[in-house]
Amino acid sequence: MRLMADEGNARPLASGASQNWVSLALMVVVGAIALVSLYMGFQEYGNNEIETAFMYILIGVSGFAAIGFNFFRAKPVAKQAKGPKVVEVVTTLECPQCNLKRVRAHQVGDYIFKKDEPCTRCDGNMVITRINARKDPKDKKN
Amino acid sequence: MFQLLGQLLQQDSEIGMILQSLFSFAFIIYLFYAQRIQAMTMLRQIETSLRKVKSLRDDGRKIAIEAIKKFGKPEKDPTPQVERFMDHFMIPPISMDPSGVVQKLGKIINVREFTFEREVAQMAPEATPSQRNNLENLLEAGLALNIFYKVIRHYYLMGKKTMNIYVIMQIHMILPQLIQQIEAYSAALQAFRDGIPIGDTVGPIVAAKLLDGAEVYEAAKEMAAGEIEYEGRRVIITKAWGPGGSVGKPGDAIRNILDKEKGKVKMLITVDAAGKLEGEGVGEIAEGVGAAIGGPGVEKYKIELAATEYDVPMFAVAIKQGMEHVVAPLVEELMDATDKAVSSVKGMILEYSVEGDTVIVAGIGNTVGVAQ
Repeated sequence: MRLMADEGNARPLASGASQNWVSLALMVVVGAIALVSLYMGFQEYGNNEIETAFMYILIGVSGFAAIGFNFFRAKPVAKQAKGPKVVEVVTTLECPQCNLKRVRAHQVGDYIFKKDEPCTRCDGNMVITRINARKDPKDKKN
Repeated sequence: MFQLLGQLLQQDSEIGMILQSLFSFAFIIYLFYAQRIQAMTMLRQIETSLRKVKSLRDDGRKIAIEAIKKFGKPEKDPTPQVERFMDHFMIPPISMDPSGVVQKLGKIINVREFTFEREVAQMAPEATPSQRNNLENLLEAGLALNIFYKVIRHYYLMGKKTMNIYVIMQIHMILPQLIQQIEAYSAALQAFRDGIPIGDTVGPIVAAKLLDGAEVYEAAKEMAAGEIEYEGRRVIITKAWGPGGSVGKPGDAIRNILDKEKGKVKMLITVDAAGKLEGEGVGEIAEGVGAAIGGPGVEKYKIELAATEYDVPMFAVAIKQGMEHVVAPLVEELMDATDKAVSSVKGMILEYSVEGDTVIVAGIGNTVGVAQ
């Protein structure tokens, strides 16, 4: 079981099993059994079978109580965090002499106004004019 | 179908009786335990967020340690030092007697900066000054993530212990804003590790574009200043010294420039990133008056004091951006906005000064990834 605790303080933040699709499916099954038990209980009660009816009703109510308990006690499982968001960053280089423009992936050590590499078209040196994150096509908001 | 439903809801049918009993049972439970159920639901939501924050905090620590090892090449493992650094705190001065509180805060901030510089120098002896500045910023982002995690955990555990809905609600209500800030700091890790300009860098970029390669000198600690001539005006431009991550001391730089010019300055323009309201576009430019500068307020105080002493009118240009952009790698819209801000500054100079005047322009913000 994954515990949410700090080093040296092995105290889980929430006890109980993790809540995932298996436990949810289990709750549905328990709910169905509880409902059927209640139905049987009332049917038996109608047939004056008090003891049997009591047993069925007890099973039914216990089932629903177990669902409620499990729902609040189980640990919520957040989707596994993917770590810090890493964006694609691009560097734009321009030649001040012939205005040649080149865009490449950002490299550690790049900075705006750095004289970076020789121009491939003339004798000049290319200067970094822009460094920015590339727009995420999935990101519709700004 | 409807017949079946009708049968179900009939009081005298067995299923109807069951449903009625269940509803009654649920109603009675809710009557007595509504607040407790609500508290438990909120605690679950807080815990989900807390797990995410813990993961981001751990990643921040890991990235900082890796970066220190990569750039600083320390002889011993920097992990214990980083762990110790993550709990660093600053006690603000007492404000019961407000006289001189800004100077006291300024002094404490200076000591904090000095401590950070020393710590990073010890942790990363081989790093260049720019890399050290970036590492300092990286550690600060890690420190902020650690504090966020600890505060949320504190309220979560206290709420769990007391089951007091008002304790739980305090953190639950502000959780969306906190998560937004935490995600922003998390995005800053990549920026400071790799020396990528961030949203807050727009001010220094505008200043650097205005300088256009002019010769610079050190106007104050970690502050560059240079002069250009624009339409017959003398424009003195200042920004933090890049390309390492630093905000410098713009207040000191402006004071020194004003002292040097003996106050003969027609106007002072500050350019900075500003928080946008929902509905405003990223990279919108707004013009106004006053000192456009954030932070604890010490530098703003210094600028206002110097400008008031020399009777220099203060103008401001704000580049709008969301909370998520401020410390995250610079987005395209903000990079484009710097050109618009340059035009805006030039327009202001033409409008409010005449040929022969001297004007000061200060690009405020962190200059990570931007030279001068």
